[in-house]
Amino acid sequence: MALGNKLSSRFAYTTQQELTRHRRAITQAPNHPLPTYKLVVVGDGGVGKSAITIQFFQKMFVADYDPTIEDSYIQHTCVDDEFCVLDVLDTAGQEEFSAMREQYMRKGDGFMIVYSVTDPNSFKNVPNFFTQILRVKDRDEYPILLVANKVDLVHLRKISESEGRAMANRLNLPYMETSAKDPPQNIDGAFHEVVRIIRNHPKELSEDRRRRRPKCLIM
Amino acid sequence: MTMAEGKPNFRVVERLKIKIGDAKNLGKGHSSLRDGHCTITLDQEEIFRTATIEKAIDPFWGEEFEFEIPRRFRYLGVCVYERDRPLGRVTVRRDQLTSFNDKDHWFPLRPLNVESEVQGKIHIEIEFGENRGRLGVRLNEACELAITNGNCDPFADVTVRYTNDKTETQRTKVKKKTNSPVFDEAFAFTLPGLSGIHKQHIVGQTPTADWAELIVTLYHEISSSNTVFLGQVTIPLQGRTVSAWYFLQPRNRKSSLREDQGFNYPSVGSLRLKIHYTADHVLPSHNYERLKHLLLNSHAVVPTTASTVYLLGEIIPNKIDSAQPIVRILLHHGQIIPTIKALAYWEISKVTDANTIFRGNSLVSKMMDESMHISGMRYLHETLRPPLERLLAERRPCEIDPARVKDTTVISHNLANLKIYVEDVFKAITTSALKCPTVMCQLFHTLKEVAIKYFPENKEIKYSVVSGFIFLRFFAPAILGPRLFDLTKEQIDSQTNRTLTLVSKTIQSLGNLVCSRSNFKEEYMSSMYQSVYTEQHVTAVRQFLEIISASAGPEECTQDTPVTLKEGMLTKRAQGRKKFGRKNFKQRYFKLTTRDLSYAKQKGKESLCTITLSDILAVERLQQESFNKNNMFQIIQPERILYIQANNCVEEKEWVDLLTKMCFSNNKRLTLYHPAAFINGTWLCCKSNNERTKGCQEVSTSVDHIQTSSVDVDRELSRIHALCVTHIDRFDSVLKACECKAVYPGDRLCLPILIEDPKTTFITLSTLREIIYTLEQEHRTVLRTIARETKYGSKQAPIGDDNYLLLAGRKDLSAHHQKVW
Repeated sequence: MALGNKLSSRFAYTTQQELTRHRRAITQAPNHPLPTYKLVVVGDGGVGKSAITIQFFQKMFVADYDPTIEDSYIQHTCVDDEFCVLDVLDTAGQEEFSAMREQYMRKGDGFMIVYSVTDPNSFKNVPNFFTQILRVKDRDEYPILLVANKVDLVHLRKISESEGRAMANRLNLPYMETSAKDPPQNIDGAFHEVVRIIRNHPKELSEDRRRRRPKCLIM
Repeated sequence: MTMAEGKPNFRVVERLKIKIGDAKNLGKGHSSLRDGHCTITLDQEEIFRTATIEKAIDPFWGEEFEFEIPRRFRYLGVCVYERDRPLGRVTVRRDQLTSFNDKDHWFPLRPLNVESEVQGKIHIEIEFGENRGRLGVRLNEACELAITNGNCDPFADVTVRYTNDKTETQRTKVKKKTNSPVFDEAFAFTLPGLSGIHKQHIVGQTPTADWAELIVTLYHEISSSNTVFLGQVTIPLQGRTVSAWYFLQPRNRKSSLREDQGFNYPSVGSLRLKIHYTADHVLPSHNYERLKHLLLNSHAVVPTTASTVYLLGEIIPNKIDSAQPIVRILLHHGQIIPTIKALAYWEISKVTDANTIFRGNSLVSKMMDESMHISGMRYLHETLRPPLERLLAERRPCEIDPARVKDTTVISHNLANLKIYVEDVFKAITTSALKCPTVMCQLFHTLKEVAIKYFPENKEIKYSVVSGFIFLRFFAPAILGPRLFDLTKEQIDSQTNRTLTLVSKTIQSLGNLVCSRSNFKEEYMSSMYQSVYTEQHVTAVRQFLEIISASAGPEECTQDTPVTLKEGMLTKRAQGRKKFGRKNFKQRYFKLTTRDLSYAKQKGKESLCTITLSDILAVERLQQESFNKNNMFQIIQPERILYIQANNCVEEKEWVDLLTKMCFSNNKRLTLYHPAAFINGTWLCCKSNNERTKGCQEVSTSVDHIQTSSVDVDRELSRIHALCVTHIDRFDSVLKACECKAVYPGDRLCLPILIEDPKTTFITLSTLREIIYTLEQEHRTVLRTIARETKYGSKQAPIGDDNYLLLAGRKDLSAHHQKVW
């Protein structure tokens, strides 16, 4: 198939249509070698989840605030010389939508918990997201990255790096500081990091596959 | 529920919130569960049922149920079914419920046939005789036994186990067709090694074993060879004479003394549940007066960070826990507006980016949520039910993401479908402004004022601050999950779910007035946005937002271009502004904007008269007799009254309702008015001759008035008390921090919360703490009295579970006492 050629052409997609064509090609080819990672971006309202996601996919910063209900994006990426498909779900931060949270937490392979360094409330809420993911997944650990966003707003910063790192240590999570504003800081890095964390959790993937096969009853 | 008879001064309110998540490892191998649903039971009684999931390996329900528990119960059960076949059940004893509060837990599902859940109680008497050599057991009666397939023909086996592990069993007669059998039978046992019971003398013989335990097992007899287990009681035989009621227990009581019941039975999978159970002990009202006063006075405390409401929000870890009772109390006592206003001023002063005000999960947003939830449910239902009913009835495909459809040619068709549904919902919302409850409008108005004051140069903020609540937090979540908001009882398949998501997204973006700028989000949505984001829609949203946050305060006049809300031809009577003008009727073109009401000779002509909304003291209907004209209404201003006649009754109502709404929050709003006109020196209504005399009738209140009478204030206050008791150690750490800060003001200490004014904060907190302490003393006194008056083992308080009269609360509280007091 022409698919092979296309894949080797480095996935320099210009339009979403092209991307989506690809996505379909991939989902329709069951034996396709490219692994798909479902990333979910969670965190309080207004911390910049969409800004981070849009910066990663469209390479631009959106200053206007349009609260997200649920948006999904898909793209081929190369992380550490290995190709993969990134399927990212950008979610609502307001607790009114927490009923929907579980649904995407069940589906995610890896998570970014985002807080804003200018909003202490969003920082306080990090452990809530963390425990909910672990509970829904019924695991003691899971591929999760703690992201401290809006670090460009130095003069408005309320949560220091050491506080952020302390939280990350307490929850045993890797930590990254980002800014979605141009010039972006660590945006690609953060997404790639989540992919690496997922790859280093080989158990989860095999577990996931095992579910679809006949399984023996282990409790 | 009044628990103690003859003690109406104390009640226990139990509330349970339970969310059913997903199930896994259902023991079906790779095949999926077909038509799976769950039921929630109290003991054996089914109280709720989830939707049916057609086909899934790990089915996810995601449904939440919240209810007040109307009766005593021992077990909460959640059972997973495939079609009508039960697969497994989670059973939690009432006294263990609190230990699972607030967090998701995976519970093992046990097979249903293991008799793990029983109900009923039995009265047993035990008497030892002849120097403990003999035992008399009497079964008096049992009650509330489980009914199997509509039948209950119970009998009991009375078994004695000796220390040498030998047993001896005797059986009662079968009682037909009753689940409250009166056995009234006595049984005699003799220790092994002693002569049989018929011998008269046993003195001098030595028994080979001692008494170990008595086991009474109840069965329902289906046939002579087929029985159903109903429950069991195991009583250690320690030589004491006993006469008591016992709760029936599952089999193998010994092994099930371990944490979860039926531990030794195989699991058939796991079910994820989130349980929140509260049992509030509510004392008579007078006990809560001081706590109530402190709460209601919050808005007057300066600085806001030293007020009770703020401190509760900070100290209780989960904001929603504190916001819920606080909002109910404030709504009931009409203090919600000033309180939220004070908190909003404080919150907004910390905000640096106008874009994100009230977007996080702060105390104000939580309180707004709760207020909208309590006062706006009926409004939500009236508004969204009709369009959603159509959507759910038709269920046309609406997927427009090319990556999610097999054949991209259907997209244009789906887009047309989606557009219809979006327009339906959009129209329902934007034309609902007049039905929006007054409290909500006043809250929106308050927040808008606060936002405008802090970001005067931001022209959009007056819309975004309101839409951030009404669209983002009220309508959008309801459209996304109509079942959660009781908007429908119907099952929602995945395709319809997706449609609802798309509708919700579009409505939210439309409401936020930034659709045109949303193009860099998902690409496939932009075609949708473009087709619905027209000038007309923007105007509709603006009008809607203006009306629901209406005010005619003077500061409003300085705002930019006002939005037109309604216009049209009406007939008006000359107001008498000119000294010698005739008071005749003339047709004029009226226009109501967010700033004023004006009229001109014709549409587009220069206005002849403009009345600022803040000058409108009341808008009321006018009695027909005044001018012998129907459909008349009056606009009462400080100096004069404008009488207007509408063309028909519908138009009259529209104008009156809209004007009333717009002027409702006016400071100068009248309380009394004259329902008729002042003609020839007399008010036709009250016959007074003084034109300046006060009105003779009360002005109409707004159509809606929230049903706050249903709020049980004492109960909410006791909820706050219970929350405070649970987190009393946090009070102490904040109090300590206040002291530190007062002594070393310069130090950047690591404070548990922000303290602006240590002295005032200290006063509020220590008062609150003192009140909590007093209340707690009162609670303990009542509990002690009840404990003293309740006989353990009586019919009301059988042996076996935690004593029901003392409920779960006691355990919690006493644990904290030891720590704190």
